[in-house]
Amino acid sequence: MKILNIYKSEPDDTVKKLVEIVTRDRESDSFDLNTDSPDYDLLVDKIFEADQTICWW
Amino acid sequence: MEYKKVCLMYRHEDYAVDGIRSALGLAVENMYAYGVVMDVEIPKLDDLTIESIEMLRDMEGNVYSTIPANVEKNGFESLTIEELGEKLREMTHIVPYGPRK
Amino acid sequence: MAKSLGIFVTTLGSLQHVIGITKAAKAKGSNVKVFFTWKATNLSKEPDFPALCELADDVSICVDSYQKQGFSVDDVPEGLTAKKMATQAQHGIIIEDFDCYLSL
Repeated sequence: MKILNIYKSEPDDTVKKLVEIVTRDRESDSFDLNTDSPDYDLLVDKIFEADQTICWW
Repeated sequence: MEYKKVCLMYRHEDYAVDGIRSALGLAVENMYAYGVVMDVEIPKLDDLTIESIEMLRDMEGNVYSTIPANVEKNGFESLTIEELGEKLREMTHIVPYGPRK
Repeated sequence: MAKSLGIFVTTLGSLQHVIGITKAAKAKGSNVKVFFTWKATNLSKEPDFPALCELADDVSICVDSYQKQGFSVDDVPEGLTAKKMATQAQHGIIIEDFDCYLSL
């Protein structure tokens, strides 16, 4: 199972903790949406590759 | 057929009630739907929302909170962040709903 | 064949992400469905919203949320039809029928 974690802002302690538990013993990738010009093309590739995508706050 | 399991998490009081209704909407579509109120204390719920939560529970869904005041005031089931994390591992869909306050 | 993508929108300020992701997914041949709920139904009044409706295969909003945000059900946003003023069942369709799920 491959999880993609997308961050809309700097992850706080709660998000970090949840990500740590959810991705434990699983393959994971991440994408930072909190930039001036996100690479949407790359993001869509990552979404298609993942089994589950979580877009955190 | 494998049923979908969806957890919606709310971190802003202006989004919690609608988010709970959204969870109910999924439960009526034959999914296991759960809502979790995090970070914020929300006011006592109106009768319509209480009814929505009862319907959600009838369909094997539930509403939890990491905030003790919400548990006391609105009858949500108590959940720690660690327990939430473990619960999320079982979900097919994880939905951070609305903004963070 | 590209995977299909369903996007569930619950936050204000996410429209540019929705458009950027939809554009990129469509360029890869994906079928994209977008559903807006609660406060995010306000995004249907943004100037760029009609362009998103052109771009995606299907765009709908929660009509109950839209009304609660102070709009009339007869005030159909540009780019939508009355049929696309829908219910939470649209979210269910995204979860059940689409290969990939994204909430924004």
